[in-house]
Amino acid sequence: MRWGMVVDLSSCVRCYACVAACRIEHFLPMGINWPKLVALETGGAHPEVSTYSVRCNQCKDAPCVDACPTGATHKRDDGIVAVDQDKCVGCRYCVVACPYQNRTFLSKDKDKGFFPGIIQTEFEKVGKKLYPHQIGTTEKCNFCAERIDAGLAQGLKPGTDREATPACVNTCPARALTFGDLDDPNSEISKLIEARKGFQLHPEYDTDPSIFFIDGRIGEWDGKNVTVEQHREPESIGAR
Amino acid sequence: MEAHQWMINYTRQTEWIDRRGIFLWIAFYAGGLGGGLYLVSLYFNSLWGMLISWLIIAVIKGGTHLIYLGKPLRFWRIIAHPQTSWLARGFIFVMSFVVLGAVQLLLTWQMPGSAGEIIFKVLAGIMAFGITLYTGIILKNVKGVPFWNSALLPVLFVLYGIMSGFGLAVIIALNGGDINLAAAETGSRWLLIINALLIVVYLWRASVRETVGKQSVLEQLHGHSAPIFWTGIVALGIVIPLAIALASLISSEIPTALIITGVACEIIGGLALRYCVLKAGAYKPLVAKAQ
Repeated sequence: MRWGMVVDLSSCVRCYACVAACRIEHFLPMGINWPKLVALETGGAHPEVSTYSVRCNQCKDAPCVDACPTGATHKRDDGIVAVDQDKCVGCRYCVVACPYQNRTFLSKDKDKGFFPGIIQTEFEKVGKKLYPHQIGTTEKCNFCAERIDAGLAQGLKPGTDREATPACVNTCPARALTFGDLDDPNSEISKLIEARKGFQLHPEYDTDPSIFFIDGRIGEWDGKNVTVEQHREPESIGAR
Repeated sequence: MEAHQWMINYTRQTEWIDRRGIFLWIAFYAGGLGGGLYLVSLYFNSLWGMLISWLIIAVIKGGTHLIYLGKPLRFWRIIAHPQTSWLARGFIFVMSFVVLGAVQLLLTWQMPGSAGEIIFKVLAGIMAFGITLYTGIILKNVKGVPFWNSALLPVLFVLYGIMSGFGLAVIIALNGGDINLAAAETGSRWLLIINALLIVVYLWRASVRETVGKQSVLEQLHGHSAPIFWTGIVALGIVIPLAIALASLISSEIPTALIITGVACEIIGGLALRYCVLKAGAYKPLVAKAQ
């Protein structure tokens, strides 16, 4: 079993619902976003804008796992790269080692609160109890591992049952995000990747990310192997 | 809509040089300097040199590295994952050196020439070499930063550490320490020439490594890092020490103050090298080709 995600670039409407849902789900401090939207303009007078919803790629061969000196960043059996904040020493080697720049060091200035020095909102108070974030440690998207674990314990299927599916996937109004098991050839995401030539970002790093993009303009995916074509960097994403 | 420029353009790394990252820069340099001085002191069998190198590694390197950590009280956890992490291996090198070096210093002081002293010198020497080496390997292994992806980087860091070690050895010799001044000057002089050539080769290789690698080199030569590169690495780190070294070759009587100035310039050059290497390390853009 290896959890993965497909991002449909042609469906994303740039509504930021995934970013907001993640913030609420994990009570993220003000200065941190786990998922991010990357806008890329191409063309001249009438540019086209492509939007990439990016987050930790949960790489199969994750450089951050190898870099972590304490074992705080570790790989679960289901492919999710998790961070044990109680073990993290805040050396930031993982932040530097991630070629996708998808990890964040939580410093004091990133956790000042929504209204610093004035009031602490109820949302923040509840968050401190339910989902505490430790200043001085590193954070990143965890594919909502808590939801997946709780859902599986109830016999639910991640990607199909909402209670067991990451919050960003649930909330996406355009259904641009699909979640499921990459190792299951019959799962929806495996079929999407095969039928619509899903591709990974920067396959030349040999990290084998668990997030695929479809309907983009980079390379090809034959369902099993990364083709030579995919090893090229994109010339102009979104140009049509 | 806000575009995340750091994801669609080449962007330099900041965690290991900006703000508190300054401490890591000093720690990286102190490791090279202390390790290099210990190796040089082993060559000259200098107790003073070994003691100073031990202090540099235990106090300056260890201290600045601790200050840099987000959770310094958990530092002992860094030992947990040496199977894959060079940072963990480096920590083991440092801790082992502190312990083995302390025992060796005691043995050299109390029982010089004993078998125990020799064994501990060899062990502490291996650890000192590891300390000079591991920071270069850490950077070399970062896949997303083409400027660092070179086997030359660990070599450059090791040789710069040993060169700075020879420089400090000259200072120790001038102060009546147990080091041959002429031999220390010769070692420093040769390494200065080798390192200058190595820097040129390193920058040339990085400039043809990918678009981002070229950008990093341009950043050194013409960008924000240019003043530090030209002043720190080239002028202070290479030209002035080389000029003083040549003057000492021509004239047998060279003022002590000038020699000390040369060594200080070498050390500034070593600091500037690591600063520029860390500062110019840039990632490839996430979704677009670097322009």
